[in-house]
Amino acid sequence: MDIPSRNRPLVLLVAVILAQVLLLAFQIKRGQDVRLIRVWSAELLAPPQRAGTFVISKIDSTWFGYIDLRHARAENRQLAAEVGLLQLKNQQLEGQAAEASRLAKLLGFRQANSNVPTVAAEVIGASADSNSQTIFINRGASDGLRRNMAVVTPDGVVGKIFEVLPHMAQVLLITDKESGVGALLANTRTHGVVKGTGGPLLWMDYVTAGEKVPVGEEILTSGEDKIFPKDLPVGTVVSTKPGTPIQTIKVNPAAHLDRLEEVLVLLTEQSLKTKESDAAVGSAAPEKKSPSSKAQGSAAKAPHVAGVAKNAAGVSKNAAPAGNRAKTPAKTPAPPVKKPAAVAKPGGTNPAGTRQ
Amino acid sequence: MTVRMDSDAQHIEVHKFYGGTVAVVCFLALVIQAFLNKYSTHFQLLELPLLVVVYFGLSRRNSTSGLFLGTAVGLLQDGISHTPIGLYGIAKGFIGYIASSVGARLDTEHPISRFILMFLFFHIHQVVLAITIHLLLAQPEAFFSLHLLIASLVNSAVAVFLFAGLDRLRR
Repeated sequence: MDIPSRNRPLVLLVAVILAQVLLLAFQIKRGQDVRLIRVWSAELLAPPQRAGTFVISKIDSTWFGYIDLRHARAENRQLAAEVGLLQLKNQQLEGQAAEASRLAKLLGFRQANSNVPTVAAEVIGASADSNSQTIFINRGASDGLRRNMAVVTPDGVVGKIFEVLPHMAQVLLITDKESGVGALLANTRTHGVVKGTGGPLLWMDYVTAGEKVPVGEEILTSGEDKIFPKDLPVGTVVSTKPGTPIQTIKVNPAAHLDRLEEVLVLLTEQSLKTKESDAAVGSAAPEKKSPSSKAQGSAAKAPHVAGVAKNAAGVSKNAAPAGNRAKTPAKTPAPPVKKPAAVAKPGGTNPAGTRQ
Repeated sequence: MTVRMDSDAQHIEVHKFYGGTVAVVCFLALVIQAFLNKYSTHFQLLELPLLVVVYFGLSRRNSTSGLFLGTAVGLLQDGISHTPIGLYGIAKGFIGYIASSVGARLDTEHPISRFILMFLFFHIHQVVLAITIHLLLAQPEAFFSLHLLIASLVNSAVAVFLFAGLDRLRR
């Protein structure tokens, strides 16, 4: 730069003063023990740095937000497809996890009741008739299943084996109008019979009006029907309606009958009773080898349980408990196979309308 | 020895000194200033380095040399003071520059003009010093006070005699 000779001293003055100001700035410290030269440098450089950062960030956002999105649509489609695939896989895994959980519960139940031989079965179908509450399971006679065997889940009673085929069986659910389970109220131990209504709820019969039944009370199997072992959960009381002499008690099933997938079939209860019956009755009814005839034999030996024993052939709709039996009128005529039940009639019980 | 030269269509008298005179005088001014301050605080009124800077600035009448001389003396004064290096350098460099510029235009040989010029330079020096301290050190510094007035009068009086003595060192 060519400086006129006349101005040179002035320029020199400014330069010398500036040099000394810088020299001072190197020495002087302001607050926070920061040298003045640093403060000045930072203040001098900060605005262009800010401006540069602002410009760069704008360019950056413009580039990545608009220009560089050429493949975003295709990538989005690909990712959406991947998400769909992953969702499907996730659903499969969730299903498997739920199945594992259910099977674990079944296993737990089996282990807890190891004295009772059981067969695990998978629900493979349901009734085509909306009036009948039945399901099909993938176990049959070849697996040792017989009629009237109890079907349960860890949650509670499901029903009984109704028809047995070689490799599958039909189960009559406890919600079917024809079903009945010998039951008792968990707290008061009041006996009754839980019957199906054809709907999602059950109702408990033969509980006298004097009995106080709180809503929410648990109902368990009484074991009197000779099908279900004692103290299995049947359901809980959802409402009560006074009546004379019997009150109406609505019951919510303990087992989730609307979403059954795996069940357990109890193999021994029936067989054990049968053996006992055989031993007791001997040849009293040799021509009848059905569970009902065997149970009847037991009933003949022990008259006080005859009313139950005569219904041992299955889940008896009118399986009145001993305490309430005398008051209970017969609702359904006994089917032909219930001849032994008719034999038990002199024992003072009402006829059992057992569905066979 | 006096050299007359044309500058801006005006005859300017430039005084030359024996070799090393300027450096020795400036050095002695700093030493004596420090020496006197050691023995009495009254001598703090004196500003011997400023006096020699003004004298040589007015005598040599070259703003560049005046600037450098003032800066050098000021930096040395900073060096032996407890002030940040450059504080007096700026002030005395500025005074050296102005004194050289003024010396080319005014009669600086008369005792009264020397007294007045010294009085003014003293206060200009103080103003530059105060501005620098205000701006850079962020510390309060008086631009004018009675003490400064007395100091300026003392220095102006001393300057009249000192400058006359220094005139003897001219070639």
